[in-house]
Amino acid sequence: MAMITFRINRYNPDDERRGHYAQEYQLDVQKGTTLLDALNEIKWKQDGTLTFRRSCRSGICGSCAMTINGVNNLACETQVLGLGGSTITVEPMRGYPVIKDLVVSLDPLVRGILAVKPYMITHSPPPSDQERLQSPEEREKIDGLYECILCGSCTSSCPSFWADKEYIGPHAFLKAYRFVADSRDEGSAEHMEALDDRHGLWRCHTIFNCVEACPKDLNPTKAISELKKELVRRKLG
Amino acid sequence: MRYNETTRSGGALWWFFHRLSGLYLAIVLFVHVLVLHVLMKDELAYGTIAERVATPLWKTINISFLVVALMHGLYGLWLVLGDYIHRQWMRILIWCAIAVIGLVFTIYGALTMISFQYGG
Repeated sequence: MAMITFRINRYNPDDERRGHYAQEYQLDVQKGTTLLDALNEIKWKQDGTLTFRRSCRSGICGSCAMTINGVNNLACETQVLGLGGSTITVEPMRGYPVIKDLVVSLDPLVRGILAVKPYMITHSPPPSDQERLQSPEEREKIDGLYECILCGSCTSSCPSFWADKEYIGPHAFLKAYRFVADSRDEGSAEHMEALDDRHGLWRCHTIFNCVEACPKDLNPTKAISELKKELVRRKLG
Repeated sequence: MRYNETTRSGGALWWFFHRLSGLYLAIVLFVHVLVLHVLMKDELAYGTIAERVATPLWKTINISFLVVALMHGLYGLWLVLGDYIHRQWMRILIWCAIAVIGLVFTIYGALTMISFQYGG
């Protein structure tokens, strides 16, 4: 057991005069306690007004993404004692408008993802067995792409997004490439149509923050690079 | 459907140009270092350099270097500024300013190179 201080950024839209401020809570933490466990403990036993999103507590839904000691991560996948130190700073993800405490508006995330048509597009009729098959090699090409849980950590950490709130975002580029690289998809042009835009691919300056931030160890920068090459090939071809 | 009908970028070919021009600049810089600091046997003096710069081959290399470096650098500047400038009139103003700067320096540099003479 160790006594840990949680320094949490608070914001209540009904108390604009107070604005954003930090509030500290102390909690005895044992080995295996995740940050989400700790936040639940604080909310349930110390301060019921503390607000944060959570759902699956298994690293699948992406709801509990937040900035922990300055780094974006999922609270449910973060071991408190693994962070080291006796004080842990918890903030809402940067770049998004804060709704309350650790809850941010994900509207920019949704706008970006919708722009790339994040679903499989086909024009040919399905084969007679009703399934569109792919070889193991073709399937392998979407490894590292399909696993995105849309937590928003990558886009929140991206300086291009900080400067341009209409920037489509690395999360959407990764999703677009997930379909462009899929042998079953026939709508590459439709997925990529939105990308050649002032707020699109060319705003990425290969800073790699998105790679650092991804709690699923995905590589949006590589996907962006592949999409850039693909767009050039189409322009020249 | 486009993401935003008013913000078409045309960035694909510029992005490709940026890669090619970067490669060209790296090659020319390598050649410059090789010729000036490795292969040159003569004394490193004004006359030695001026004699080489006055030849048609080096005038061509230097002018191409000037044009490509200006386009590469100014497009990079435009990209960085574009991150932070969102008002359309301001973007047009800055784009025009960058284009004028590029044009003036290209003409000034090219005229300097073309008219440069040394010796006989």
